[in-house]
Amino acid sequence: MTGHAKRWLLFAVVAALPVLFILLPIASFLITSFFRVEGGVILADPNLSNYGAFFGNWTYLGTFLGTLWLCLQVVLLSIALGYPVAWFIWRRSGTVRYALLLLAVMPLFMSYIVKLYTLRAMLGLNGLLNQMLVGIGFLDGPSQFFLFNQRAVLITMTVIYLPFVILPIFLSLERIPRGLLSASADLGAGAFDTFRRIVLPLSLPGTIAGGLFAFVLALGDFVTPQMVGGTTGFTIGRVIWSQFGLAYNWPFGSAISAVLLAVALLIIGLGGYAASRRRV
Amino acid sequence: MSSRGERIPEILAGFLTVLVLLVLYAPVLVSALFSVVTIQRGTILWETFSLSSYATLWSNSSVLQALANTAIVAIASAAAALLFGIALAFYTRSENAIGRRSIEVLIYLPFLLPPIVTGLSLLVTTSALGVGRGLFTVIIGHTIFVLAVAYRLVSTRLAALPPSLLEASADLGASRWQTLRYVLLPHLASSIVTGAILALTLSFDETLISTFVAGDQMTLPLRLWAMMRVGFTPEINALVTLVLITSIALALLAAWRLKPSWSEADSSD
Repeated sequence: MTGHAKRWLLFAVVAALPVLFILLPIASFLITSFFRVEGGVILADPNLSNYGAFFGNWTYLGTFLGTLWLCLQVVLLSIALGYPVAWFIWRRSGTVRYALLLLAVMPLFMSYIVKLYTLRAMLGLNGLLNQMLVGIGFLDGPSQFFLFNQRAVLITMTVIYLPFVILPIFLSLERIPRGLLSASADLGAGAFDTFRRIVLPLSLPGTIAGGLFAFVLALGDFVTPQMVGGTTGFTIGRVIWSQFGLAYNWPFGSAISAVLLAVALLIIGLGGYAASRRRV
Repeated sequence: MSSRGERIPEILAGFLTVLVLLVLYAPVLVSALFSVVTIQRGTILWETFSLSSYATLWSNSSVLQALANTAIVAIASAAAALLFGIALAFYTRSENAIGRRSIEVLIYLPFLLPPIVTGLSLLVTTSALGVGRGLFTVIIGHTIFVLAVAYRLVSTRLAALPPSLLEASADLGASRWQTLRYVLLPHLASSIVTGAILALTLSFDETLISTFVAGDQMTLPLRLWAMMRVGFTPEINALVTLVLITSIALALLAAWRLKPSWSEADSSD
């Protein structure tokens, strides 16, 4: 066997796993999205009707656009809260800095379903939030304002995905050479100027990366809206999930997921591009 | 470094940090409290303090079954992901390996994509191939999900090893197998352990992929989710607290493992 053939054989062996378990499943759900269901049976009869049904029906398209808007809000809120936190941690030193970073990142590993459960309990009519607001006299009585609506989904997703935003912002701040900051101060720039001209631009790639990460995660999340969203907190993830459950229309669910996949890939690509362009 | 102009933003950001951390940790603290006492109308009834909900948990066979399933899935998928991660990292180490970039993209894909896509693509595939859903399919799902982490840790460590190490080994007459066994693996050991801990942590918590491919099997997050639909009981809170303690312990372990490399990077600035 020639060296060339040997290299290709090795490639075939090594690539088998990712192709079989990652590429093939994605390909097969994309193919399924062109099929249709009749009488509870999936028919391999390639057509575009699922995509037509999705883009031609405002119920679905509107839900999709509404979900994109919701995810954007989650990202903006997460950055607004996460950036100052990451900045504050970055300004600390030694053990305090490491401990704070650990505290901020550890919720990433705390059970997702448990966070949902307790957040739902806290946002509810008899929840901690209402009791506190009534306790300090901000509200006269407990309010339905915080649970089983779109707002509840926004609050819950932000709490869950915030650490995903804090970490990359911190890491990009961390990468700023200390010399740049002292050089800026030596040249007479004030704290605000240094922040605006050096710290902010150099931490932008991490901020974008964190934001996009949170966006993609929020986009596909179907359990959060189901747990806290009630009837108004309907998202595209829930629509897809229902197609694989009660509605039993896998091809249609696959078609919506294909649109979701396209958006996710576009966002990941944009993130990669932004990160590579702004690298110091 | 801190001048007067930075005092006020720093105080505000510090205040916000405390607030954010409180919000992030409130779920943990509240559920821990609820599992041992009853709270009525905003007052904690300390006299109701009891650990009995923890005791009843141990006689709940469906919870124990879910716990066993979660352990099996976590260990099997962590082991598989590390095995494949190491093999793939060795392959992509050489610059001129065929399809190097494409393989990397495929490895990272399930970690970057929304889990719903990974979950339903596995569901569609297993169903088309006639594979029954159960723990085996959950293990596959978790393996491809945590593979990215295992691969990343091992390949970064491999790339950091000086090539002279391998050359020296070869010069001393070691076979490729001996080089792997006595030179490469010992150097990779620490990243393998870290990868294993991270993989276990992620698998322990994974919910979205599992719900698509678990069939009638239950992992701990799925069992919790099912219990939550029914309502709030001290028993759920007890389970929640135990789950959180386990995740935090695993996360701390991972953080402690990652710290040395982190502070090395710090000092090299």
